[in-house]
Amino acid sequence: MEIKREDILHLADLSEIRLSDTEVESLGGDLRDIIKYISQLDKLDTSDVEPTYQVFEMENIWRDDTVLEQDATREQLLALTKNEKDNQIKVPKVL
Amino acid sequence: MKYVPTIGIECHVQLCTKTKLFSEVDNDARGKEPNSCVSPVCYALPGMLPRLNGEAIRLAILAGKAMNCEINAHSRFDRKHYFYPDSPKGYQITQFYEPIIGEGYVELPSGTRVRIEHAHLEGDAGKLTHYDTYSLVDLNRVDTPLIEIVSQPDIHSAKDAHDYCKELWRLMCFAGVTYGDLYNGNMRFDVNISLAPEGSDVLGTRAEVKNLNSFRSVERAVEFEIKRQSKILDKGEKVVQETRGWNDASGETTGQRSKEEAKDYRYMPEPDLPPINLSAEFIAEESAKLPMMPADYRDKFKGVVADDILEILLDYPSLMSKLKEINEKYIKGVSNLFASVLLAEEKSAEYLNDLPSSEDLNELAEMNEKKELSSTATKEVFLRLFDPQMKGRGAKNIAKELGLIQENDLGALEKIVDIVLAKPETAKAQEDFKAGQEKVLGFLVGQVMKESHGKANPSAVQDILRKKLK
Repeated sequence: MEIKREDILHLADLSEIRLSDTEVESLGGDLRDIIKYISQLDKLDTSDVEPTYQVFEMENIWRDDTVLEQDATREQLLALTKNEKDNQIKVPKVL
Repeated sequence: MKYVPTIGIECHVQLCTKTKLFSEVDNDARGKEPNSCVSPVCYALPGMLPRLNGEAIRLAILAGKAMNCEINAHSRFDRKHYFYPDSPKGYQITQFYEPIIGEGYVELPSGTRVRIEHAHLEGDAGKLTHYDTYSLVDLNRVDTPLIEIVSQPDIHSAKDAHDYCKELWRLMCFAGVTYGDLYNGNMRFDVNISLAPEGSDVLGTRAEVKNLNSFRSVERAVEFEIKRQSKILDKGEKVVQETRGWNDASGETTGQRSKEEAKDYRYMPEPDLPPINLSAEFIAEESAKLPMMPADYRDKFKGVVADDILEILLDYPSLMSKLKEINEKYIKGVSNLFASVLLAEEKSAEYLNDLPSSEDLNELAEMNEKKELSSTATKEVFLRLFDPQMKGRGAKNIAKELGLIQENDLGALEKIVDIVLAKPETAKAQEDFKAGQEKVLGFLVGQVMKESHGKANPSAVQDILRKKLK
């Protein structure tokens, strides 16, 4: 699988991050290496193998619908954000 | 040229569970402070694991059954990635590949069938409020359980689009899976619409109008799009495939920035949530809890309650389940009373928060049937049954206290008639009646009513007068 410069820019765009030209180059190199490594799996014949969605053989892990007291308070959680206003998280204007 | 619209609708329904879909925090944020119903899971703090709410699965089964859908024994969750401040995770947990609800259909009152493609469980996103130079994020809505219902493109008019959304709302309310509060966004509709020349078997390019929150706005948005797209096609131009927003005040849709069109969600299986495998017994057991649906009521009350009255009452699930408890022979009368109140009284919906008991309603209908209450008096007592000060006393006592019970005892009525006929001021009317003047009977009945302080049954009085003045 070929990773082109446009693919890196597209991924950066989807992730809402800006990259410098050198970052585009180095990240592109990293990504190509990772994909090459993973691509070794392509050599295996998996036509009879079901896709693996999870590695633990668990199913139906549900809980009751009962409200529990939360350990973290609103103030603690809001304190983790960069900016807050009126108990809300303040972010640059998005539309 | 004449065009045929083809419409498919996606509907998000907020489920009325007590806790969120993936953590044990309060799901009912109505009237609560911003960010007060938020857990570390909603906040997507590193290392937090989602824990699936079993009640959401039960409600999804009911919702599916309400739409005559298959319930898939096997389903699982996926991550849908996107970056936006309303989602701290950077992805939405949804069911992309294997949804819990399979194919089904919704039948509209007109008989039109709209097929359901599938419906899936997912977590809602937070709420953004936009200001001049910044936006504020309230995460109370994050991970509120939603089911997204995807219809087939079986709708071909603005009216059917309206009726489909309304019927979905009824189905979800009757099934008891949502509060159904449209004003607060408990149900939101995305409408896909395209036009094709009449007779063509190729569909046109579609536009998607997002985030409509009333049946009326769905209908108006479709009407607008039919006009807009017809104009474009008439000019020989092409409709652009895009997402459009609806402005309720101007009654128009407008194109949204193309950047949001870059749909590349990079779906992947959600590794934190094991799959759901439902046994046939569990599905049958939960499905059996589905209460009567609008279609069941239409069958049950066909020929008893007039169609137009029934369609009014079907907007109120609690009222319909009350009607079930009413003695069969009184259902028509009680339905009409409810309909007249809902149509005529202000704040009609408030009347339905706390309905009269079925005992009171049966008692009231029986008094009316026995002519102890005139129809006007019946309605008066009916209204009092909603009055918090009065309702505990019972229909019969209220009627007595208000002096509304009609005198039906023929012996007693005859005595009152005799008193009136003995009065000199009625002598002339008696002569005139005997001479063939039918209309003076009204005057005489009025005199008897006055003598009885309005409690005599007028038709019984008429009969007695006719007999005595022969």
